[in-house]
Amino acid sequence: MPAMDVRDVRFRGVSKKYRVRQPASSAGLRYQDFWAVRDVTLDIPRGETLGIIGRNGAGKSTLLKLLSRITSPTAGTIELRGRLAALIEVGSGFHPELTGRENVFLSGSVLGMKRREIAAKLDRIVDFSGVRPFIDMPVKWYSSGMYVRLGFAVAAHLEADILLVDEVLAVGDAAFQIQCYERIGELRRGGTTMVFISHDLGSIERLCDRVVLMNRGRVTDIGSPAEVLGHYHQLVAESFAADTAGASVVAEAGAARVCDVRFVDDAGLDVPGTATGGRLRTVVEIDVTVPIAEAVVEVFYYSRDGRTLHCQQSTATTDAAVVLMPGRRRLEFVCDGFGLQPGIYSVGASIRDRHAPATIDWWYGTRLLDVKPGKSVRGYFYAPHQWRWADAPDGQRRPADV
Amino acid sequence: MAVIVIRPASSAWLRLHEHLARLAEYRDLLVTLSAHRISVRYKQTSLGLAWAVLQPLMMMVIFTAVFSVLAKMPGDGTPYALFAYTALLPWTFFSGSVTSATNSLVSHNQMITKVYFPREILPITYVVAGAFDFAIGFVVLVALMAWYAVPLTAHAWLLLPIVALLALWTLAVSLVLSAVQVRFRDVGVALPVLVQGLMFASPIIYPLSVVPASWRSWYLLNPIAGIVGSFRDVLLHHAPPDPVPLRFAAIVTAVVLPLAYLFFKRAEATMADLI
Repeated sequence: MPAMDVRDVRFRGVSKKYRVRQPASSAGLRYQDFWAVRDVTLDIPRGETLGIIGRNGAGKSTLLKLLSRITSPTAGTIELRGRLAALIEVGSGFHPELTGRENVFLSGSVLGMKRREIAAKLDRIVDFSGVRPFIDMPVKWYSSGMYVRLGFAVAAHLEADILLVDEVLAVGDAAFQIQCYERIGELRRGGTTMVFISHDLGSIERLCDRVVLMNRGRVTDIGSPAEVLGHYHQLVAESFAADTAGASVVAEAGAARVCDVRFVDDAGLDVPGTATGGRLRTVVEIDVTVPIAEAVVEVFYYSRDGRTLHCQQSTATTDAAVVLMPGRRRLEFVCDGFGLQPGIYSVGASIRDRHAPATIDWWYGTRLLDVKPGKSVRGYFYAPHQWRWADAPDGQRRPADV
Repeated sequence: MAVIVIRPASSAWLRLHEHLARLAEYRDLLVTLSAHRISVRYKQTSLGLAWAVLQPLMMMVIFTAVFSVLAKMPGDGTPYALFAYTALLPWTFFSGSVTSATNSLVSHNQMITKVYFPREILPITYVVAGAFDFAIGFVVLVALMAWYAVPLTAHAWLLLPIVALLALWTLAVSLVLSAVQVRFRDVGVALPVLVQGLMFASPIIYPLSVVPASWRSWYLLNPIAGIVGSFRDVLLHHAPPDPVPLRFAAIVTAVVLPLAYLFFKRAEATMADLI
């Protein structure tokens, strides 16, 4: 069988319409149609890991629900080759009165496993979950962590040809998450076709071969993770700009481009980041093709999943104009006391015209900022500060850095 | 490798064989879920499984006290307690299963919106659990017959097809009501009254013989009437069941069950959106 030719999943013109009841209208019941998924045609080859991203309400979850047969399409067909299993929510079908062991059988059969298959895998499932001492206790006495671990353990041992994963990895402690990723990697190497929905753009980036971007129910972009994630951030930034400015003049798109964002130490050598309260030099490499008289260059530090913006550095905080002349330019932000908490942050950068709301370029690469523990911090961030005696004679008021 | 084609909801009416094949694939879930349904039911009750015996017995005592001692209802020549219990047993199977199955989809909304499986499994498990209680209740019936010195004759074997018919009819009603309940919760509200009405429209507290002949053909459109009557014929009168009511019941069930199942599958397609 020629592996390249096998398509495990084929969407053909798939649409899903919901009828939304209009709130309290005087003329009886009024319904409005809402297309959650619109005319999706898509092939997923065997063994591919496909990520689906999009803003809330873009239709990602509906697409997954259609694929997992939880609900039916309004039009179009989906062809599946092989056994499909969905990790849409772990622990589905657990019954609180039953013991962990009984629930493994229940949950396994809900997910489509045969009793014999479950019995054969019971030991491995229980070991994976790490709840062996409690396996004969009703799950109503489990902690939520134990519950989730057992649920994932069952789902992770399904022998499926196609596996759907929706946000399940956002559960459990760090050690368990690593275990989950390892299991997913194992399944991938074993040739399982996977469809992944997550807001954690970091894991999408790491795990997926291809990414689909959805917007208002339609597939608007398909390609490599780096490419599509870049477009996604641009989409988010543009709609944000449109929301705030109320206008959308497309100003000189393509006039300049962010090529890379790097972090360097005082010797100018590349470093992965800094420590909390330490010095951070952020270098933005820009390719300029058309001169821009007054540009604004900005760097954004997001939480790893790309959902929360933690801080921003911008040339717009000073009055000095950034004049961009054609050629390769390097612009540097220097921060002496970088205050973010220890952790990994994703990084974005943008160029825009000071007088137009639209972005000229949006960059969202694979670069992560690594902030190591430095000055100890309680609260949200480290604020650079000093202390001195306020009641001593002037000569003894020597400042001391913290 | 098997190819599964997911089609729009409107095609559900045409694919009875596919639905049945899918259900057969998920038979392990049906077995597991039914077993758990039974084991969960009496967990954390102090009397446990004894309730399966006590429930119908208590009903029998109440019915005998009210309808025989107070209302002097005739028992068709058998002791009223036994006369009532023989009908209460199949009736409780039907009414209990239908009542719990009607809410089965709504109460499992968590499962329905999170994972796929043939949804009919949920109402079916309640019918299976009802059948389990029926089996225990039947042992009690045999004990009661011994107590009243009513012999168990070879005619009792005829109960097997009659019970099968009862189960299928119970299933048909459960499928329709549970599917409608997803969209219109009115069903659950009206159900106790409907069940009560249906009980009086069936020969439970009175013998079938008191129903006027001119009403008969309408009366027998309710399959429970023919089924309950047959129970008494076979167990208490030691005769083969009266063929006319039973044939009515069989025909109605044979027509309604496939339609009920297809109706259910059509409703299933959008269940997760409405629940």
